[in-house]
Amino acid sequence: MSIEIKNLSCVYGVRTPYEKKALDNISFTVNEGESVGLIGMTGSGKSTLLQHLNGLIKLKSGSVKVFDIDLSKRRPDLMKLRKHVGMLFQYPEYQLFADTVKDDIMFGPLNFGMKKPEAEEAAARAAELTGLNWEDVKDRSPLELSGGQKRRVAIAGILAYSPDILVLDEPTAGLDPLGKKEMLDLIASLRKTTVSTVITVSHNMDEIAEYCDRVIVLSDGKLLYDTTPAKLFYEEDLAPLHLQPPHAVRIVRLLENKGIRLPHDVLTEDQLVAAIKEYFSGGGHA
Amino acid sequence: MRNVAFGQYYPTGSFIHRLDPRTKLFAGIVFIAAAFVADSYWAYLACYAFLIFVILVSKIPILQVLKTIKSVFFIILLSVILNVFFHHEGKVLVSWWKIKITAGGLLYSGQIILRLMFLVLSTSLITLTSTPTELTDGLEKVMSPLKYLRFPVHDVAIIMSIALRFIPTLMEETDKITMAQKARGAKFDTGGPFARAKALLPVLIPLFVSAFRRADELAFALDARCYNATEARTKMKILRFGWKDLTAFLFLALFLTVIAFFRSGFFGLL
Repeated sequence: MSIEIKNLSCVYGVRTPYEKKALDNISFTVNEGESVGLIGMTGSGKSTLLQHLNGLIKLKSGSVKVFDIDLSKRRPDLMKLRKHVGMLFQYPEYQLFADTVKDDIMFGPLNFGMKKPEAEEAAARAAELTGLNWEDVKDRSPLELSGGQKRRVAIAGILAYSPDILVLDEPTAGLDPLGKKEMLDLIASLRKTTVSTVITVSHNMDEIAEYCDRVIVLSDGKLLYDTTPAKLFYEEDLAPLHLQPPHAVRIVRLLENKGIRLPHDVLTEDQLVAAIKEYFSGGGHA
Repeated sequence: MRNVAFGQYYPTGSFIHRLDPRTKLFAGIVFIAAAFVADSYWAYLACYAFLIFVILVSKIPILQVLKTIKSVFFIILLSVILNVFFHHEGKVLVSWWKIKITAGGLLYSGQIILRLMFLVLSTSLITLTSTPTELTDGLEKVMSPLKYLRFPVHDVAIIMSIALRFIPTLMEETDKITMAQKARGAKFDTGGPFARAKALLPVLIPLFVSAFRRADELAFALDARCYNATEARTKMKILRFGWKDLTAFLFLALFLTVIAFFRSGFFGLL
């Protein structure tokens, strides 16, 4: 088990008019190799939950365990935790600070105790993984790169210290459609090669449907669903959460109204096309 | 909102919250005057009785108000130490080497503590009970006669309210960037002072970049809406003096008179 969370609660601003229960008795586990999507409206507690996974806020009630690091114990090894769990925040390009792309990507590895030549090698490898041309960008200022490239640099800065789990907070926010597609393909390819366990926060249900094998839905700090995308989008009522199911699911529903029944595991464009072809090639119709 | 800053607006909707900000600004001046007019422990007793009454009316938990002292703790400490050792008056209590502590010095230091605490507590009540916008509106009105001296009152008010408006935003941003760098293994609390200062760079640089970006965007947004800070601008909420403010004014006048009485020894009656 990679991550084990039990009865996690978190309250901000205790005994002030700004008091807010951000997390309310959350329990779930994440296994190695899983790709988990995290959904919830703004203020549902997603960010607070993610911050716990990196020991960025103090654990007050419940327990969080990542590999053998138990945050409910006294003085947990936070550096070890942060090396294990690579966290990409929202709009990570605004956190770049160094003079050159090279220095920025090397920041993490050096902090986690790598020697300089070693760190530079790791940085080069991470940059190539994200599709950056190392020789081309390494001596440039991160501020003069394009938005999509900056985000790649930010991801490389995390991959460079080879974390075992990747936590991504809205990795596609603010990118154009092509940038989005490239980012998602990058994450999918990283899952196959370097980091198998990924937790992604997203507001885009199409992305969740296509790239996650499990979804966790938070609402008002409570864990509402922990299920597969197919179950969530076909069996649960998402209207109270103001969530639109993925396009493929909506099309399946529309076809159903016209009497064309497709299997309820169709979640992506490719699957939809395949299912329609199958239906009309004689398999499905009565 | 993660950490509610000391002295930050604390909404309860009380009588004091609904006062005109100008009244509260005036009250601030009265408080400061009172703290300096009062010169005996009896006068301070009266000051604190008045202060507690105001806090009760404002419905803000007393602990919340007391927290604001934390920010000036060291100033209070420093001035007490200076006065204990250097204010010589009355009976000598301790005398050792060049150091002399006198009874008068101790009594005087006690007054200094009470005075500084009263200053901080009473003025923080103003920020606890009024929103930054109310305060800048109030200040703009109070300063408006300066217009005739060609002082850009409105521009200054706008600059102030923008600055106030962005304090929480920048604080939030600092928080976010700090977390992001911590996640990348940054350490902010180890090493000597030089190492610590250097460790702040990964937070400060992105913070500055983003502050300039925000300033730029805000300037464009103001321009796009034809903002030109002319006098023709009107207010959505017009400040009005009401019976509440009159009550407050009478009350403040009474308070100041009482304190003045203490100073003059009730005109020689006592």
